[in-house]
Amino acid sequence: MNLWQQYVCPASVAEAVQALTSAPGPALPIAGGTDLMLDLSQGRHPPVHTIVDLTSIPEMTVLEIRGDELYIGAARPLTRIARDPLAVRHAQALVEACDLIAGPQVRNVATLGGNVAHALPAADGTISLTALGAEVEIAGPAGTRRIPLPDLFLGPGKSALKHGEELLVGFYLPLTTYHSASAFKRIMRPQGVALPILNCACRLERDGGVMAEIRIAVGPGGPTPLRATEAEAALRGKPFNAATLSEALDALLQQARFRTSAMRATADYRYHLVGGLLKDTLEAAWERAG
Amino acid sequence: MTNIVGKPLPRIDAFGKVTGETLYGGDLSMPGMLHMKILFAHRPHARVVSIDTSRAEALMGVFGVYTSKDVPVNEYGLQWNDQPVLCGPGSRYGEDHAYSTAEEKGRDIVRFVGDQVAVVVAETEALAAQARDLIEVTYEDLPLVTDPEAAMQPGATLVHPEIGPTNICVHDKIRKGDVEAGFAQAEVIVEGEYRVPVQEHAYLQPEAGLAHIDDEGRVVVLAAGQWTHTDQKQIAHALDLHIDQVRVVYPAIGGAFGGREDMSVQIVLALAALKLKRPVKIVWSRQESMFGHGKRHPMVIQARWGATKGGKLVAAENTFIADAGAYMYTTNKVLGNSTITQTGPYFIPNVKADVYGVYTNNLPGAAFRGFGAPQAAFMAESQMNKLAEALGLDPVEFRMRNLISEDLTLDVGTPPPGPVSIGQVITAAAKTAKERYSVEAFTPTTVHGQPSTVRSWGFAAGFKNIGFSFGYKENCWSRVEIHGDGEIEDVVVYSASAEVGQGNHTVLAQMAAEVTGVTLDRVHMVTMDTLNMGNAGSASASRLTFMSGNAVKGASERAFEKWQAEERPAIAEYTYLAPETTPMDKETGYSMPNFAYAYAAQAVEVEVDTETGQVRLVRVISADDVGKAINPAQVEGQIEGGVVQAQGYAIQENFITRDGYVLTDMLSTYLIPTIWDIPESVDSVVVEVPDERGPWGAKGVGELPYLPLAPAIAHAIRNATGVWISEIPFTPERVLKALGRI
Ligand SMILES: Cc1cc2nc3c(=O)[nH]c(=O)nc-3n(C[C@H](O)[C@H](O)[C@H](O)COP(=O)(O)OP(=O)(O)OC[C@H]3O[C@@H](n4cnc5c(N)ncnc54)[C@H](O)[C@@H]3O)c2cc1C
Repeated sequence: MNLWQQYVCPASVAEAVQALTSAPGPALPIAGGTDLMLDLSQGRHPPVHTIVDLTSIPEMTVLEIRGDELYIGAARPLTRIARDPLAVRHAQALVEACDLIAGPQVRNVATLGGNVAHALPAADGTISLTALGAEVEIAGPAGTRRIPLPDLFLGPGKSALKHGEELLVGFYLPLTTYHSASAFKRIMRPQGVALPILNCACRLERDGGVMAEIRIAVGPGGPTPLRATEAEAALRGKPFNAATLSEALDALLQQARFRTSAMRATADYRYHLVGGLLKDTLEAAWERAG
Repeated sequence: MTNIVGKPLPRIDAFGKVTGETLYGGDLSMPGMLHMKILFAHRPHARVVSIDTSRAEALMGVFGVYTSKDVPVNEYGLQWNDQPVLCGPGSRYGEDHAYSTAEEKGRDIVRFVGDQVAVVVAETEALAAQARDLIEVTYEDLPLVTDPEAAMQPGATLVHPEIGPTNICVHDKIRKGDVEAGFAQAEVIVEGEYRVPVQEHAYLQPEAGLAHIDDEGRVVVLAAGQWTHTDQKQIAHALDLHIDQVRVVYPAIGGAFGGREDMSVQIVLALAALKLKRPVKIVWSRQESMFGHGKRHPMVIQARWGATKGGKLVAAENTFIADAGAYMYTTNKVLGNSTITQTGPYFIPNVKADVYGVYTNNLPGAAFRGFGAPQAAFMAESQMNKLAEALGLDPVEFRMRNLISEDLTLDVGTPPPGPVSIGQVITAAAKTAKERYSVEAFTPTTVHGQPSTVRSWGFAAGFKNIGFSFGYKENCWSRVEIHGDGEIEDVVVYSASAEVGQGNHTVLAQMAAEVTGVTLDRVHMVTMDTLNMGNAGSASASRLTFMSGNAVKGASERAFEKWQAEERPAIAEYTYLAPETTPMDKETGYSMPNFAYAYAAQAVEVEVDTETGQVRLVRVISADDVGKAINPAQVEGQIEGGVVQAQGYAIQENFITRDGYVLTDMLSTYLIPTIWDIPESVDSVVVEVPDERGPWGAKGVGELPYLPLAPAIAHAIRNATGVWISEIPFTPERVLKALGRI
């Protein structure tokens, strides 16, 4: 029993969309294959006819400055993001996430697009991109469109991508400006095999002792990757100190919905951890922006 | 002086394993080979009412579908024949003896999720899987029994009504001295309840094998195990064959740790090969391996120990309730070891203990490195550390005041045979901690730049019998042939003893080389086969260096004498018989259950993050008396491996079941230690107090380094944070709960 009938390696985004839409049976893109191969071989995914390999499409593997944005191709392996000087300069939170996901072997092939496409509320790449204010470019039969990343997520494991038609092409992030910085942290043993118990990313702009601008994401804090807008509001435009931090945490606890996962952690544990995690993440970015 | 024994020589099997030349069960193939898949019950307690295999049989490429009615004698078991080979109606007991009713013998009942109901043999593995999914089984669910404490109560649903009127399948007792009088003398009493979990063996190589019929019409089973001759016996019994019609050969074994003592794929492979007269192969997936074989016994242990103000132990009373799961496996042996080690390597004049094994619909409790001693050690060593604290004594000093010795009696009422080195290993571990890491006291220290973390050291010891004895006459066979003319060209060592990865064959080759005076490359090992080989016993209970070592040494010496008397080739066979032992008395436990014990002590440094509750093992000093290190590098390997496996048990591994179902049935949900988790250092302190009955004084080491680790970590957590945690594993949430943080 073959897991698929046809494996194609398109050289452009247009060819890839064409391959997806013209396949005579169910078709799926593959990037690093670290999730998809497991799902197929363990029978968790219905059989597919055509697999479309995205990893030789230049547009999907580059990382470069485009205008006043950083562009990262969706099929670029995580290690090659974490090691890239432009990413290190403009997207610290993402670099930190890419360095923590799984273990070295997985990171060498797994991609950011694959991490995001799953639409999981605690994927490390997704959480850092959310805090960084990323937009995502999607290609389909009707051409390409660009949407804010949060609009991609409809529910746990559900994205707005049209299955078997559309692709994530790449991500656009704002560049680091003077006094802006980001950070990512997570709670997990350094064990290298699973999603984190809790993660948190932020991007902030600092004006002396004041938090001029702030964006925070936390996972898993709800059915979709959680943008901690209430906590952001508690901090924005205020001095960053113990009092505002405590208000931000209260606001986050109001907004977040932590749940118990049978094999990983209880809700109580997550509620307990999130305060320290938020503080550590904010302080790390705050220091960097100084 | 020895030339080869005692040297850290490279393993003789290293090259083949590293280059991939060596074949494991999953690598085997033969012309005309077919593939097997097993239909597991996937339900914890039910009667199989009917099995419809017609759709599976109708599939093109399917060669055979077998169920309960196809097994000649539908039962097996290493200790008791309490498990059906395939659960279902129409079971038989030999050609002429149909069970009076299948129900009466309970062969139609599935008792845990990994019970096997049918097997399919097909052209390819995928076809076999497809056909397996077409088998329709009608079940009638039975009431679930998953809590051993509830299962002990009168009136509880019986897992094996065909065996007897209770779920209690083992009850060992110790009645030594007078506990009432003992507690009357006690000035300090410490009580505790301890809970220890299931642990998965997680060997690298999942269950796999191949069976075929050889030119003489014998069925040959190639599948990794730990004791060729008992595999052979169980296969022959279930298939109603004469023992000589079954040959068991072990391909390379990818780890065992006790988990391969009981059968998995062997009988059904042999059954299919006999029916089809073609080679049949099976490889379990990791998931099948996770729910399909036994696990370390979870236990609840109540303990009450008393001492005088002068720091002398006077009484102990302990109760163990162990979950035996669905079948006996080796529960009686495992609990026997818990029973004899339950007060640690210390002398207590008055002891009362009751150790229960209870049938449930959980996964069977099986042998696992330490055989019941790690569970007992977690309780005993925690009790020792708590008592030392209550008495205001240093934990090392308190132990030194209560050591067992050649002149004092164990709980079984007799002294431990052989040299007792517990004082030496405790001293060695404590001294190393002091000299290398300046450990003066077990007090907390902080870590610069990490405000939420605290560190401290902890201490524990342990002891364990070598060999499985209890009145069983331990024996081990070997043959040695010396070939050559003027000079020795080749020394061939025959031994059925299992190389499970521990290095046994290298050690045996070193011994033969030492006796015959040749270099290691002149020795050839012929091993792990029931054909033309005598019984070697099992690769378990840290016994092979002692037992197969004595056998190979004896055979080598006898062959070498013949060589010197000019016999060409010079051949000798020898069966080593271990010293006599006796079984435990049913009411008091009085016995001389073992011929040798080995002793260990550890000091460990642990870091606790009081914010996240994460526990990190930083350093381990492990002092182990091995008698004589035949190959010191391998001894260190056993110590490091044992420490990491025990670390998984103590800190990371969290096997979760619900209503008899396994939730953590993959290595992405059941997290074992990886390279990221292991301690910064493991200092192996190899102590050598020779036991004159062991080869060159050697005892054994396999289980030793596992024993003290969990209680030593518990002690270190206590010293770092002020809280005792008496339930393993020390998960972050359990730590935070103990700290009152959640
Ligand atoms: C051992 C292990 C540990 C892990 N640990 C972590 C962790 O710590 N943190 C974490 O967040 N994640 C973790 N993961 C998940 C990991 O991040 C993802 O497996 C990886 O990022 C997926 O990328 P991929 O390129 O391999 O995706 P693939 O397996 O190739 O694809 C995954 C899915 O996304 C789709 N897809 C891929 N690329 C695109 C695209 N460009 N457009 C549209 N759809 C696409 C595929 O069709 C498929 O459905 C772990 C995974 C493993 C195997």
